[in-house]
Amino acid sequence: MTSGSQQPKRRGVALDLRGVRRSYGGAEVLRGVDLSVNAGELLAIVGQSGTGKSVLLRQIIGLERPDAGRITVGGLELPRYLAIPPEEKPFRIAMVFQNAALLASLTVAENVGLRLREHRRHRPDEIEAIIHRVLADVELEGTEAKLPSELSGGMRKRVAIARALAVDPELILYDEPTADLDPILTQQIGELIGRIRTNRGSTQIIVTHNLPLARAIADRIAVLDQGRIVECSTPAELAASRQPLTREFLRAAALGV
Amino acid sequence: MAVEAIGRVPRRPGPIGRLGAGLLDVLQVLGEAASLFTAAVRASAFVPVDRQRVVVQMVRVGTDTLSIGALLSVFVGMVLVVQAADQLREVNESVLGPIVGLAMTKELGPVMMAFLLAGRAGSAMAAELGSMTVYDEINALRTMDIDPVRFLVMPRFVAATLALPLLILYSDFIGVWGGALVVAIDPAIKLTTNEYFARMLEWVHFSDVVIGLVKGLMFGMIASVVPCTFGLRTRGGTEGIATATTSAVVWSFILILVFDFLIVRGSFTVN
Repeated sequence: MTSGSQQPKRRGVALDLRGVRRSYGGAEVLRGVDLSVNAGELLAIVGQSGTGKSVLLRQIIGLERPDAGRITVGGLELPRYLAIPPEEKPFRIAMVFQNAALLASLTVAENVGLRLREHRRHRPDEIEAIIHRVLADVELEGTEAKLPSELSGGMRKRVAIARALAVDPELILYDEPTADLDPILTQQIGELIGRIRTNRGSTQIIVTHNLPLARAIADRIAVLDQGRIVECSTPAELAASRQPLTREFLRAAALGV
Repeated sequence: MAVEAIGRVPRRPGPIGRLGAGLLDVLQVLGEAASLFTAAVRASAFVPVDRQRVVVQMVRVGTDTLSIGALLSVFVGMVLVVQAADQLREVNESVLGPIVGLAMTKELGPVMMAFLLAGRAGSAMAAELGSMTVYDEINALRTMDIDPVRFLVMPRFVAATLALPLLILYSDFIGVWGGALVVAIDPAIKLTTNEYFARMLEWVHFSDVVIGLVKGLMFGMIASVVPCTFGLRTRGGTEGIATATTSAVVWSFILILVFDFLIVRGSFTVN
C-alpha cells in the first residue's frame, strides 16, 4: 500500500447511469436515475429512507437488473461486464453491505480471503500476505482467527471493508457503512474511506443518511428523492442549495438529528 | 399516501382464489426446486476441486444422524419382531426374519433415515441458508463472483446423496440386529436367532438391498435440494427463517413419500 503522502494512483473506473428504472410489484422505486461518477471520485448518495438508495446500489453491482435504463462501468455496459468470467474481468467491483454480510461460519481471515481463494489466481502465501495487509489497513491486525460473532458492529464493518479491499477493486459501493455505529466509530469509518481514496484511488459510492459524514469525505453528494437524483453537487455547493429536500437535510444535520 | 394505500387494498380472495394461489405456490416451489436440482447436478462437476467442502458436509450429516439413527433403527427392529411375533404365534414364527429383513432393507430403513436426514440435517440446511439469505450473505457471495449453488448447495446435495445410502445400510444392519435381540431374549418367541437369520438370508435378496439404496440416492437428493430451495427463497427476518425451516421439513417428508410410492410402483412394474 502506498503511503498517505504519495499521490493517489487514480485507478478507479467511471460509472454512468442513464434513465435507470426499477419497480417492485407495480410500485416504482427508481424513476429514471441519471448519474455520472468520475474515475477515482468519492460520491455520497443521501436521501430519506425508502427513496431507493440501496435499490440503486443493487442495480449498479448487478444483484438486480433495472427494468429500463443503461448502466456503464469503466466503459462497459454492465450486463457485458457481468458476463465476463471472474478471472478475465478487466476491473473489479466490491460492495460493503449495511450489515457487513460476513459469512458467520468463516473466520475473519477466511472471510477476507474468500474471493481470492475461490478464484484461484493467487498462491496461498500471497493470499495470506494480502489478508494481513488489508486487515492492517483497517486496523484489525490480530483478529484473523476470530469469528464474526466475536466482533463488535464497527469491527464487522471494517472486516467487510477489508474483504472488499482484498481484491483491490476499482469501484467500491458502500450501503450505509455507518448505520448503527456511534459517532466515534462513524468518524473512524469515514477516515478509513477517506484513506482508501487517498491511497488506492478507487472510485467509491457511499449510500448514507449521515449528511455530515458525506460532507466531510465526499467529492460530490447526490440527493435522491422519490426515485430520482434531484441534486448532485460538491459539499460546498450543497451548503448553498435551494433544493427543498437538501435544505431539510441540512437543517436536520445542523440540529444534530 | 396512507389513504392511497388503503384504497389499493385488494379484496380478500374467496375459496377458489385461495385454492388457486395455494396451487400456484406449490408449482412455484416445485419449479424452483427442479431448477436448483439441475444447477446442483451441473455444479457437481466441481466435486474433485471442492471435495473438502463435500467432506465437511458429509461429516455434518453423519454427526447429525448417526446416533439417533441407531436408536431409531434398533427400536424399530425390536418393535417389528414383537408385533409380528404376536400375530404369527399361532401360524409360523419362522417368517420373522424375512419380515424384519425385507421391511428394513426395502422400506423402513430408507424412509426412516430419509426422514431423519430431512428433519435433522435438512432443517439445519434450510435454517443456515435462510439466515444467509436474510442477512445478505448470499448476495455478498454473488457480488464476489462466487456461485452460491456451487459454494453452498452442491456440497450439501452431494453429501446428502452419498451419505443416505450408507446410513440406510447402517440402519438395516442395526434394525435387523434389534430384531435378533428380541428373538434372543423374549421367552414367548420360540424361534432361535440362527433360524431368524437363516430364513432372512433365504428371503432377502441383493436386489432388495439395491432397491433400498436406490431410494436412498433419490431421498438424499430430495432431503437436500428441498431445504436448500426453501433456504434460498427465505424472506422476512427471523420469522421467515423459522417458516422456511418448517416448510422445508414438511415438503421433504411429503416428497419422500411420493417418490417412495413411485419407486415401489416402478419396481413392481419392472418385476
